[in-house]
Amino acid sequence: MTPSEPQRLHPFTVVFDAAATARGFLVPALFGGVSAGGGEFESVLTWTLALLSVPTILFAFARYLTFRYWLAGEELVIDSGVLSRRHRVIPLARIQNIDVRESALQRICGVAELRVETAGAGETEATLRVLGRAQAESLREALLAGRRTVVAGGDDAEPAAGEAEPVRELARLSARDLIIAGATASEAGIVAAALGGALQLLDDLPIDLPAFLPDPERIVELSEDTLLIAVVSIAGGLLLIGWIFSILGALVTYHGFTLEQTSSELRKRYGLLSRREAVVPLERVQAVRIEESWIRQPLRLAALKVETAGGTPQERQRGGAEAFLPLARAADVQRLVEAVLGGLDYDALRFRPAHPRARRRAFIRYTIVLALVAAGLTFALEPRWLPFLPVLPLAWLAAGRYYRNLGYALAPGFVVTRAGLLDRITWIIPDRRIQTVHLIDSPFQRRHGLADVVVDTAAGGRLREAEAKDIAYADALALVRELAARAAFTPAAAPRPASAARVPHPPRGSGGS
Amino acid sequence: MPHDEVVREAPPDASEAGVAARQDAVPDLSALRPLDPRVMKAWRVAWLVRAGLAAPAAVVLLLLGRGLVAVALAALMLAFFAAAAFLPRASYRAWGFQLRPAGLLVRHGLLWRTVSVVPHARIQYVDTRRGPIERALGLATVVVYTAGSRGAAVRIPGLDAADAEALRDRLAALGEADDAV
Repeated sequence: MTPSEPQRLHPFTVVFDAAATARGFLVPALFGGVSAGGGEFESVLTWTLALLSVPTILFAFARYLTFRYWLAGEELVIDSGVLSRRHRVIPLARIQNIDVRESALQRICGVAELRVETAGAGETEATLRVLGRAQAESLREALLAGRRTVVAGGDDAEPAAGEAEPVRELARLSARDLIIAGATASEAGIVAAALGGALQLLDDLPIDLPAFLPDPERIVELSEDTLLIAVVSIAGGLLLIGWIFSILGALVTYHGFTLEQTSSELRKRYGLLSRREAVVPLERVQAVRIEESWIRQPLRLAALKVETAGGTPQERQRGGAEAFLPLARAADVQRLVEAVLGGLDYDALRFRPAHPRARRRAFIRYTIVLALVAAGLTFALEPRWLPFLPVLPLAWLAAGRYYRNLGYALAPGFVVTRAGLLDRITWIIPDRRIQTVHLIDSPFQRRHGLADVVVDTAAGGRLREAEAKDIAYADALALVRELAARAAFTPAAAPRPASAARVPHPPRGSGGS
Repeated sequence: MPHDEVVREAPPDASEAGVAARQDAVPDLSALRPLDPRVMKAWRVAWLVRAGLAAPAAVVLLLLGRGLVAVALAALMLAFFAAAAFLPRASYRAWGFQLRPAGLLVRHGLLWRTVSVVPHARIQYVDTRRGPIERALGLATVVVYTAGSRGAAVRIPGLDAADAEALRDRLAALGEADDAV
């Protein structure tokens, strides 16, 4: 079904729209009223806020009535807005990715949310909340088929729109895989889960502390050894809880994870309670990132991400990373990278190391950082010199690891960079995705004759970028020139930065006095 | 010389001569073009304006009896004067650019020195801009935009206004060679 006639969203839209607006003020208000024990002032407040929900529902209904979408030839058109009307036109050729999401509640109601991203501004370009599930799926297929036809242009080789494409399964994660993924999740995730668990625990803490926990008033009487044991066991317990939460989280979030590939798209599906189906056109992939955390590296495991120029709502910026596989075995990386990028022999890459002086620089840097930390700790620990004891060995180990993780490689059609202290991050960038190349050297690097090379793509934010760090200046300059030559002589297929419809594309050579 | 032809028709020549020719088309750090020397005057004026803003503020604070803040502000003012005296010449020497058939190279920065290369094929659009000081001195800034994320905009300040327009039009024309989306 191709909706060429203006269509309305699913009537449940009113419910979900109102609920989303209401969550902002209603829930805190109700909680406030309930937990305050129904005092006079609080109940007045609660009722006032509850009454606000009436206009909210009316407004949601008005929004539902004024919202129309349809496919007009090569464009998705959306009319919306109650007071100020908005007419948005999204050319199908500009689509970066399409997401179909169902929260647990939406699944019960048999509806889904469809989001379309282009390379435009940070927010999602089109959010159709909500559609009937079948409606969402058929619209997605219509958009993708339309996009394929438009992109193929005059080429007759492309199969006609609507024709089913052969689907190849790239990966499927079993429950066992997900347990491993959760168990080896990044330390930050485990700590966050642990802290979350701790906060829960503190809330529900019974009045009687378990016997092994010291009574706060008796802490002064306890010997330092006992205190240390107590602190360590509490911290250990929290980490264990966080670890379990992390495993459960992975099991719920990524339940039934399937990654499929058609001739022109990547599709993934996952979720136990809320389900998500994301489609990324292969030609939209700007770069592939391989993330090996310090826990996963020795287990020969990694996470794979696909960078597109489409925005992700969470990050509120242009350029988004899709975790296209939360857990991959190192042995599979070659096959997956080949499937997504095509033509790269990942296992055959020979990484060139950074300049040996990179290790010395890292050693000095980590020594300074650790010495500062140690200086802070001297106020807490009794033998004042104790915190300084591990500074040099730790800095030495860290510098060694950092140095071993650094490197870059050139393969026909691709540039690969690698860096990271705890988590080793490998960027794979096709030549045709290179936008600009930069060589940067700080005063400290200049003393050693070193420089960094930054490879800029349309993907990624400010903090995440491909860098060949601390290589000899002459090598850096040669690398910059090689990459610039490759970029210049490889036909680009880069998306324009201008958004699909809202911002007209700035005319070339415009501006000026 | 038809630069855009070079970009558009470049054959994927894998021979040694082909690779060498490709490399020659890419800018290097030899013979960089400097900015217009008048830009030093523009930068100096900008620093003096900053110093000039700090001076009356310091006097006012001194009259109000906030001695310590006033002294800090005076020190800042002196730093601005020092910057006006020494920075423009140093940064003028640090700036340089070069246009080759395959791309534009811009070097700048005193402490963190940056060399940026923008392949013409990646140019999305080009702007010229003129601030009040630049206008008074007959200068302009050229800004080249790509679809990139961090290094998406590359700037060349302090060009003669007519040169800037010519450079902008040339870059815009070169950028049109490859319009794939």
